[in-house]
Amino acid sequence: MPAVSRRFLLAGAALGAASLLVPIAMRPARAAARDAADYEITDWIVIAPNGEVTLGLSQPEVGQGSYTALPQILADELDADWARVKVRFVTGREAYKIAFRQEPPVQKEGASMSTTALYERLRTAGAAARDVLVRAAAQRWKIDPARCRSENGKVIGPRGQTLSYGELGAAAARLPLAAAPALKDKSRFRLIGKPLPRLDTPAKCNGSALFGIDVAVPGMLNAAIRTARSFTGQVTAIKNEADIRKMPGVHAVVKIAALAIANEDAPSQHPRVPHLPRHNAVCVVADQFWQAQRALAALEVEFDGGPSGDLSSGRIDAMLNAALDAEHGVAALTRGRPREILRERAGAVIERRFVLPHIAHAPLEPVNATASYRDGKVEIWGPIQSVTACQEAVAHAVGCAVDDVKLNVTFLGGSFGRKIVPDYVLQAVQASKAVGRPVKLIRSREEDMQHDVYRPNAGGRLRAVLDAAGYPLAIHARVAGQSLFGAVRKSWLDHTPEGDWDESMVDGIYNQSYRLPHFLVETVDTPLPIPVYFMRSVGSTAAVFFWESFISELAQRAGIDQYAYRRNLLADDALALRVLDAAAQAAGWSAPAPAGTFRGIAYNCYVGRGRRFKTYVAQVVELARAGGRLAVKRVFCAVDPGLAVNPNTLEAQIQGGIGFALTNTLKSAITFSNGGVDQNNFFDYPLLRIDEMPEIVPIVLASDRPPQGFGEVVLAPVAPAVAQALLHATGRRLDVMPFPDDAFRIADSPGRRPRESGDPYSRVGWAGTTVAAS
Amino acid sequence: MPVKFFVNGAPAEFDGPEEVPLLWVVREHLRLTGSKFGCGIGVCGACTMHLDGAAVRTCVMPVMMAQGRQVTTIEGLSRDGNHPVQKAWTQLDVPQCGYCQSGMIMAAADLLRRQPAPSDGDIDRAMTNLCRCATYARIRAAIHLAAKLR
Repeated sequence: MPAVSRRFLLAGAALGAASLLVPIAMRPARAAARDAADYEITDWIVIAPNGEVTLGLSQPEVGQGSYTALPQILADELDADWARVKVRFVTGREAYKIAFRQEPPVQKEGASMSTTALYERLRTAGAAARDVLVRAAAQRWKIDPARCRSENGKVIGPRGQTLSYGELGAAAARLPLAAAPALKDKSRFRLIGKPLPRLDTPAKCNGSALFGIDVAVPGMLNAAIRTARSFTGQVTAIKNEADIRKMPGVHAVVKIAALAIANEDAPSQHPRVPHLPRHNAVCVVADQFWQAQRALAALEVEFDGGPSGDLSSGRIDAMLNAALDAEHGVAALTRGRPREILRERAGAVIERRFVLPHIAHAPLEPVNATASYRDGKVEIWGPIQSVTACQEAVAHAVGCAVDDVKLNVTFLGGSFGRKIVPDYVLQAVQASKAVGRPVKLIRSREEDMQHDVYRPNAGGRLRAVLDAAGYPLAIHARVAGQSLFGAVRKSWLDHTPEGDWDESMVDGIYNQSYRLPHFLVETVDTPLPIPVYFMRSVGSTAAVFFWESFISELAQRAGIDQYAYRRNLLADDALALRVLDAAAQAAGWSAPAPAGTFRGIAYNCYVGRGRRFKTYVAQVVELARAGGRLAVKRVFCAVDPGLAVNPNTLEAQIQGGIGFALTNTLKSAITFSNGGVDQNNFFDYPLLRIDEMPEIVPIVLASDRPPQGFGEVVLAPVAPAVAQALLHATGRRLDVMPFPDDAFRIADSPGRRPRESGDPYSRVGWAGTTVAAS
Repeated sequence: MPVKFFVNGAPAEFDGPEEVPLLWVVREHLRLTGSKFGCGIGVCGACTMHLDGAAVRTCVMPVMMAQGRQVTTIEGLSRDGNHPVQKAWTQLDVPQCGYCQSGMIMAAADLLRRQPAPSDGDIDRAMTNLCRCATYARIRAAIHLAAKLR
């Protein structure tokens, strides 16, 4: 018999208590329902008689490290023995929900919000549990609790007597929790702030970590799906269904109803994904996935294009350019008299235009879900980034109560926002309903690529005049593109008499602390029938590229060093200066770069949704010659993240976030024709490879601020920093992403050595006329 | 005619079409899900196993090519997760989402078998597996560490 994996089958019926579901890393010993002798002390903490502490994790683990960092917070206040903690995914209670802005709380990972939103709550839960454990011991010893202390899973009395948490669990579970227990002074943290090894690493190194695609439940069938190319297309004919049904293992050919992808409307901010009255996909359900794939490949299906069957990149770009040229946008911010000044000094206006495409999430685990529809209720297993969104969408689609949708969340093989939209879950539900058995539906890479929920396109048009010293006096920044909030989150739009605007389009432009007396920030929405959604760093991936590139151009025209220019403009923001100085210092900016090395500097303060956090980032990118090309060789990244709960996972986010941004910067573009997406797989939507990954030098600044969001914050400055380095190397300005490959070709010619800062070839003048004080 | 081969030292057999990719035979019939599906065209490497000790991308390898041969999956790379590559990966906490890492570890183990002390250039050339989380900085460091741990 071949070596069969020891932990594999998930027995759906055996999950037991709704509040503690299947652990993400399945091992048979913990697969069963909660042991009746375990004691639940709070929503987050269960203690077994043998002292093993189970900590609840509400945030899906997508690679960001919450699986370790959030339990760390609980365990520290609890004074648990970290060597004996286990982590279990939890759901079904209000305690596990968080809000990003003013809206009903949901159980969801995203917006870099988990630690910021849960830090105090988890500390309180841990402290409350410690408090009842201490009081239980004090009662047993008949002494004042103040004479006891806790340490490493034990309560210790004044004479050195001890009782373990395991021995105290039953008694502690009967005591009422204090509403506001004393929290540790941070000088007493033993886990928070430490670079503890990740708890999920061993499972991810030995093949035992369970991802959605790995799920198997009793009676499960497998499905492969093919979808109409056009977003508005539908199935018009299936020609050989009878033959396909006879293929080995095939159970059914199921037409799948189209979904209004990520169609969120006020007041709910969940992707409702209602079914549309047409079928836009077909799936084949078979015993094994490979059988479903083979049958699907042989299935002859015809689709039409529908109303937007002629959607193309040419038309999308034309719309974008028209929007950039339009007379007016909707103002997100107005300060001073920007229009007047730009008009008065029309001859001295510096203008730059940028265009960025839609891009795809492309998580390495393609979207998939296992669904079991039975008696009007549903159970789901899979990689789900928003528990609430999935439950509500499924309940709405099926017509059952939300509580009748049971969710089992696995590890996610990457998400970056993709797996919040439960379209793929609803498709699995449809398939299960059609065949009357659990069905695991896995998308091929091509299906995942062509039916993603894309980061929208964006165009920028920035215009400025400089003051006598060369600094910006007035800037008019317009961003156009398919509005994300307009498509999927109308409740988050800001309203003005002129119209609505989407702050994600100008994240990193309108909310920064650059000194600028006259400022106009505008947006223009170009609605499109393309499914879009939040993707790591959202609109800042475009807006910060526009903004920082434009600042680089202004500095160059003024003949002022890029670091000095930003330092001047950020002079009123001490925290901004701190990261900028740290990055510049680490990179040795003030000293000339070695021959053949070119540097670029960029800054961004990532403002969390609802202004719930501010994470400061500055980067210096080094390009170096390698043969006839320039390569991104090293990136210095200075961050002020507030308290770093786990510096190990934080460093990983710096490294990985920069790598992720380099893929966006150097490689990623989704183009459209015939109503749908042109790209198929990793040969035409390539990802960064190890030989393209630069050395990363992280500089993490100490801070007294509480934990600030981190998962997304290092992405946005990468592209403008690379562009500035290229500007210094070759004088070429980049205004599109992905950067054209030929921009990195450089002749290995001796002689010319461009100046590092300012304009390398010639001083492009600026008018320099004095403007009358406004 | 069933295809007969060995997986992690134990005999295995597959009675279906001989062109079914080994990846799916291992994942679905043998229930070893450590090896992953990422692209289906042999580009990402998430499906990497060893065939007679050498790395192969099994999403494009018909099972018939395994006839009579030794297949090693991530589950069988070591007894207790203590292959030098796994030890190095654990010590440096390489994985983020972790989805690519089974294939990455198998590819790294194969590299170290062929080149016990690889240079950065050797790593650049040999390690073409994709990681969407871009854990490459730690992958590189872990390969160097694993070379020392052997």
